[in-house]
Amino acid sequence: MQKQSMTSKDIINNYGATFGFIIAIVVFSITSRGFFSGLNLQNILVQSTSLGICAFGLTFVLITGEIDLSYGGVIGLVGAVLAGMLKDGHSIGLVTLVCLAIGLGTGVFNAILIVVLKLPSFLATVAVMFLCMGAERVYNQGITTWIRDQGVLSIVQTNIGPVPALVLYLFALFAICWFLQTQTKAGQYVRALGENINAVKEVGIRADLLKFLVFVVAGLIFAFAGYIETLRIGGAVMYAGKQLLLSVLAACFLGTATFKAGKANFPGTLIGAFFLYTLLSGFTALGMKFYLVPVAQGLILIISVAISSVRRGKIEQVQF
Amino acid sequence: MNSPMGDRVGNQEDIVIKAERVSKSFPGVRALKEMDFEVIRGEVHALVGENGAGKSTLMKIIVREYIEDEGNIFIEGNNVKDLGIRGVQKLGLSLIHQDLNLIPMLTVAQNICLGREPVTRFGTIDWKAMGLKAADFLGQITSEINVEDRVEGLSNSQQQLMAIARALVTSPRILILDEPTARLDQKTSDSFFLFLERAKQKGLTVVYISHRLEEIYRICDRVTVLRDGTKIITAPINEIPQTELVKYMLGREIEQQVPKESVPIGEVKLSVRDLYPKEKGKDINFDLKSGEILGIVGSIGAGKSEVARAIFGADPKQSGTIRISGKEVKTNAPHDAIDHGFALIPEERRDQGLVGNESVRKNMTMAALKKKFCVGPSWIDQDKETAAVKTSIKTLGIATPSPEQEVQFLSGGTQQKVVVAKWLMSDSDIYIFDEPTKGIDVGGKYDIYKLIVDLARQGAGIIFISNELTEVLSLCDRILVMFNGQIIKELETQASNREELLFYVMGGRDYAKTVNDL
Ligand SMILES: Nc1ncnc2c1ncn2[C@@H]1O[C@H](COP(=O)(O)OP(=O)(O)OP(=O)(O)O)[C@@H](O)[C@H]1O
Ligand SMILES: [Mg+2]
Repeated sequence: MQKQSMTSKDIINNYGATFGFIIAIVVFSITSRGFFSGLNLQNILVQSTSLGICAFGLTFVLITGEIDLSYGGVIGLVGAVLAGMLKDGHSIGLVTLVCLAIGLGTGVFNAILIVVLKLPSFLATVAVMFLCMGAERVYNQGITTWIRDQGVLSIVQTNIGPVPALVLYLFALFAICWFLQTQTKAGQYVRALGENINAVKEVGIRADLLKFLVFVVAGLIFAFAGYIETLRIGGAVMYAGKQLLLSVLAACFLGTATFKAGKANFPGTLIGAFFLYTLLSGFTALGMKFYLVPVAQGLILIISVAISSVRRGKIEQVQF
Repeated sequence: MNSPMGDRVGNQEDIVIKAERVSKSFPGVRALKEMDFEVIRGEVHALVGENGAGKSTLMKIIVREYIEDEGNIFIEGNNVKDLGIRGVQKLGLSLIHQDLNLIPMLTVAQNICLGREPVTRFGTIDWKAMGLKAADFLGQITSEINVEDRVEGLSNSQQQLMAIARALVTSPRILILDEPTARLDQKTSDSFFLFLERAKQKGLTVVYISHRLEEIYRICDRVTVLRDGTKIITAPINEIPQTELVKYMLGREIEQQVPKESVPIGEVKLSVRDLYPKEKGKDINFDLKSGEILGIVGSIGAGKSEVARAIFGADPKQSGTIRISGKEVKTNAPHDAIDHGFALIPEERRDQGLVGNESVRKNMTMAALKKKFCVGPSWIDQDKETAAVKTSIKTLGIATPSPEQEVQFLSGGTQQKVVVAKWLMSDSDIYIFDEPTKGIDVGGKYDIYKLIVDLARQGAGIIFISNELTEVLSLCDRILVMFNGQIIKELETQASNREELLFYVMGGRDYAKTVNDL
């Protein structure tokens, strides 16, 4: 039962995605001029914030063994409402509250469907995603709405010291999530219930309530991601959530290929988000056609899912 | 151990668990029917009955994991009707589940302290205190588990010991043990019984569920027999002889617990040469003849299952050759092995042998589907399939409301019977049984032994891995003893006995000499 020291194979296994990340940066810096410039790297960081933030919400849900794709609609709906209400002259305080309320509402709705009514989370949240898209379409009537108020835009489009505010938001949220996950009882139980919900119920923990809360928290985080994304772009584009649907999923699964044996985890998701954006902007820098970007994302998703399930298979023994 | 009976019986204050006319139904099953049950302070109370009799259900009701349809339950006089799981824990009750319910990805310490993590003054988890707390409780039972290890890396018996430690964290006054020794070997069980003895002296009351009658006679004071969800009898254990206890359990008599019958032994069927399994074990060499039942014994961690899994191709091998009737075959994956006529009845039914949310029928015919129930390329002959499943359910006494019930809703032992039935249907040539009777009731064991002997009579070769030396000695023709990954001794059953077997299981070298020296 002694701990074995890591072999080179274990290291590749455990930190494979991290290595991939570093290799990708090196390759792109060599092959495309200007990739490694400070500005570009900062751009990557900035552009991956809403992706990363949203992926944190999804990571919480994935840890419980469920999935929540409603962000594909929530982000767009929040964006539309944010831009629309500002245009109608409402104060940013009120608008912010409404945006959070949308997150809270969709989160609670998801939780009721999945935890109380026991619907399968994949189908339920896809349905909610479409409901939100529908609501978005009705609200903005398919028109892109720009935000002109510089004061509002400066919530995100500014630097705090030398660092872009967005990057700070991302890391702050990461720190909070990671702390909750690893240092608190609730975090422990959330992880435990994803592995074996009976074991958690058996010791008298209200597992269903915890799961409910996870969906609510995820809803709030999705709304926050939508808020940030809209302010970063400076307006609400139609179906903004749809753009992020695949990338967020890919970031989380890339995350499972990092660190923790095929399980969703926050550091992994953070690295996954950066990695994904690095690849995408690297490809763009190399002159990839925009319509091929989804293809690249799809491939990345397949590869990361494959890596993480191979690794999980290794650990859970050969089945027959 | 003296029975704490006498004048204290009937004294209301000393009845710590009292269940009155408790009934509970699941869709299609009446698990409990007006069940009465009483446990007296300080006793070790055995609860026995066939697979599916309702033992685990009653215990889960007592700890409030299930809620009864009717009836009342009192713990030390308190009605538990409105109490939750935490509530009865506060009354001093703790249950160790038959199916453990552990969280594989977490560490031993995290599992043991689940729900009771020590916190720092900031409300965050105090990891250091948690490690110490876990080590403290674990130390009461065993010293060979590191609290920082992940649970998925532990052996079955270590997981069982850990589950016991977890139950102690609430400092229970009443401990309910649901088949705790099913995963333990002789040696570990013995030290576990010592632990129970000590705890009992400190005033612990124990409810003890087991299918191993020897143990029950060894450690229990009173016994309650449960059949089809009702109480048949409660009595001091020394007032009921074993044959009678079995009769109460089954509602019928069986003559002996292991059918002795010799069948003609033929040519060498399987030869294993210089096998080095990747997981554990070295230099494994043996032959198996047709009609022969070859026992493999050894304490937990000796490498028995690893050898079985390596032969079957479920685990990789480093090297070694396997010949069937003299011809070398490659078994790099289970499907190769199955094609060559192997069947492996695995030890951990829930992970390795069953699809939980599928029906009894589908699980049972899974291994034999292509060989036996298909017409044309992949057309399933449903009538034939259903008929075969019904026969199996009858011969093995499988307690299921219908062939269509999902196996996850069956009792623990019943699930094990389904796994055995699945492979018995497969018409194989060489059967490897890894602890097939674990968690199976007396009647079911008897039926399985009978079926194994039948297979041998039809000319199959059988490898029978077990920790229960009694059954190995009565059933097998020859026994291999493994210790630390190696076969250290081969014994003819006729010429051996329990003491000798135990001597080698513990890693002894020369029995005759040692006995002489004494
Ligand atoms: N959650 C459930 N859903 C449906 N049926 C159930 C459920 N739990 C138990 N049963 C049924 O109730 C009956 C009693 O099961 P129980 O687990 O109490 O048996 P047991 O006496 O513990 O048997 P074993 O010795 O095999 O562990 C069985 O017929 C079982 O199929
Ligand atoms: Mg049971």
